[in-house]
Amino acid sequence: MAMRNRKVLRIANRDLPFQLVLIAFGIVTFFPLVLVVITSLKSNTQFYHNFWLPELPFQFGNYSSAFRIIWRYIVNSVIYSGSTICLIAIIASVAGYVFARFSFPFKTVLFLAFIMLIMVPGVLTLAPRFVLVRDLGLVNTPFALISVWVSGGLVLSTWLMRSYFESLPQELFDAAYVDGAAEWQVFFYVSVPLARPMIATVAMTTLIASWNDLIWPLVTITDKDKMPLAMGLMQFSSDFETDWGTLFAGYVISSVPLLCVFAVAMRQFISGLTSGSIKA
Amino acid sequence: MLRRFATSPSGAKMKRESQSPLPLRVWRAKWLYLALLVPVAMLLIFEWLPAFSALYNSLYIWNGGKVHFYVGLEHYERMLSDRTFRVAITNLLGFVFFRVIMQTVLPFFAAEMIVNLRSARWSYWWKIIFVFPMVVPTILNYLIWRFIYNPQVGLLNEGLELIGLEQYTHAWLGDPNTVMWALAFVRFPWLPTLQFLIILGGLQTIPQEVHESAAIDGAGFWRRLFYIDIPMTRRQITLAMILTMLFMTQRFDLFLVMTDGGPGYSSMVPALQLYQSAFHFLEFGYASAIGVVLFVAMLALTIINLRVSAGATAQ
Repeated sequence: MAMRNRKVLRIANRDLPFQLVLIAFGIVTFFPLVLVVITSLKSNTQFYHNFWLPELPFQFGNYSSAFRIIWRYIVNSVIYSGSTICLIAIIASVAGYVFARFSFPFKTVLFLAFIMLIMVPGVLTLAPRFVLVRDLGLVNTPFALISVWVSGGLVLSTWLMRSYFESLPQELFDAAYVDGAAEWQVFFYVSVPLARPMIATVAMTTLIASWNDLIWPLVTITDKDKMPLAMGLMQFSSDFETDWGTLFAGYVISSVPLLCVFAVAMRQFISGLTSGSIKA
Repeated sequence: MLRRFATSPSGAKMKRESQSPLPLRVWRAKWLYLALLVPVAMLLIFEWLPAFSALYNSLYIWNGGKVHFYVGLEHYERMLSDRTFRVAITNLLGFVFFRVIMQTVLPFFAAEMIVNLRSARWSYWWKIIFVFPMVVPTILNYLIWRFIYNPQVGLLNEGLELIGLEQYTHAWLGDPNTVMWALAFVRFPWLPTLQFLIILGGLQTIPQEVHESAAIDGAGFWRRLFYIDIPMTRRQITLAMILTMLFMTQRFDLFLVMTDGGPGYSSMVPALQLYQSAFHFLEFGYASAIGVVLFVAMLALTIINLRVSAGATAQ
C-alpha cells in the first residue's frame, strides 16, 4: 500500500508542471462558457449591476422564453441533418462498396468524378449553385439544403467507405460466397456490420458539417420557421440583441443537442481521429 | 452474376473478363452502374455543373438571370485594379499566416503536454476537455466572441477595467486598426478540434522506446521536442497546416457574422467579397471570377505544401 502510494506520488510529481499548464489552459478555455451560463441566469439589471459573478435570484424564465423560439430551429436542424446523414450513410456505403469490391469498365473515370471534387472549394461553386437550385425551384424548401449537403458530403464519405471496404480481407467475402450468400446478402450481413465504425465516422463528420453550415441556408432559406439552427441563431441574436439573459439562455440551449451526441460518441470520435492513420 | 466482377487475387478470372468486348462488359456490369447512378448524378448536378458554370460565367457579365453577355477576361482585369479586392487579399494573407501558426502551435503544445502525462486517466480527460468546445455551434463561437469584443459590456473591456487598465478599453471590432487582430483571435484559447486530434494522433504513435532511449541519452524536454517529436509528426503537422489554410481561405462566415467586412471594408476577405458581389450586387460573373482565383490559389498552395513536406521527408 505504502509503495503504491509512493508510486502514485512520483507520477503526480513528474506530471505536476504539465498538469499546472494544462489546468491554466483548461480554465481559460472554459471561462467564456462559464460566463455565458452565468449570464444566462441573470436579468439585464443584474447583468449591468454585476458583470462577473452569479446573482440571486436566478432567472430561469430566460430559459423558457428562449426555448419558445429556439426549439423550432433545433427541430428543423435535426430533421435536415438527420435526413442528410441517413442518405449519405446509405449512398456512400453502396458506392464505396462497389468501388472497393468490383472492377468494371470506366471505374477509374467514375471514381475520379468523386475524388477530384475534394479540390473544388465550396466557395467556387456557391454562386452558380444558388442559381441552379433557384432554377430548379428548390429555394426555401428543405430540399435545397439536403440535396447540396448530401452531394457535398458524398465526396469524402465515399472515399472513406471505399478505403474501409478495401481493407477488409478477401477471405471474409470468400467464406460468405462459399456459404452461398448472394451479393446483396454479403453486403448487408457481412460488409455493413463490419463497417459500422467507419459509418459512425461518416455520420459524425456529416453531422458537424451540416449542423454548422451557415452560408448555404442564408442564401436559400427565407422563411423564419424553416431556418436551421445556425441561421436561426443569427436571427435570434439580432432579435434579442440587448436582452442578454435570454440571448445567452438561447445559446446554452442550442449547444445541448451536440452535447448529447458527443456524450454518447465522444470516445469513439476521439479514438477514430487520433488513431494515427491520418497523414498528409 | 455480379460475383464474376468481384476483385479477387486469382488473376485468371480477371483476364478472361477483360478479354470480352467492351459493350458486353458494360452490359454485365449494369447493376453496378445502377448502384452508382444516384451519387454520380448528384455529383454531376450539384458539384460539377456549378464548378464548370463558375469557370464559364467568369467570362460573362451575369446577374444570375437573363442579363448575360460575354466580356472575356474583363473581370480578371477588374480584379487587378479593384481596391477592395486588394485589401481583401492583403487581409487574407495576414489572417491565414497568423491563423496557421496559431492553429498549429497551440494544439501541438497542448497535445505534447497531454502525451507527456504519465497518468492515462488524466490524459484521457484532458482530451475530452479540450475537444469539448466543439459542441458549441460554430456560429455561437462568433456570437460569443462578438460579445467578448463588445465595446460597452464586452468581456475584454470589462476585464481590462477590472485589472485597472481602463485606458486600453477599445471598440475592438469598430476600429480599422484593431479589427483584423480581433478577428484573428476569435476562438483563441479554444483548440481547433480536427487539427488538435490529428497532431495528437501523430504524437501518440511515437514509440515509447524512442522517448526512453532519448531520456537515457540525457535529452531534456526541449531537445526531445525539436529532435524527436516535431520531426516525427511532420506529416500530421503539414496536414493540420493545409487544413487550416484551406478552411480559412474559403470560409467567410466568421467575417460575415462579426463585421460584414467593416468598418468600411477594412476586414474584407475575397470569399466575403464573392458573396457580396453575388448576393448583394447580383454580379454573378465577377463573383465567379473571384471564385476561380481562390480555387487556383488553394490548389497551388496545397501542391506547394505537399511538395515541400515530401521533399523535407525525403532528405
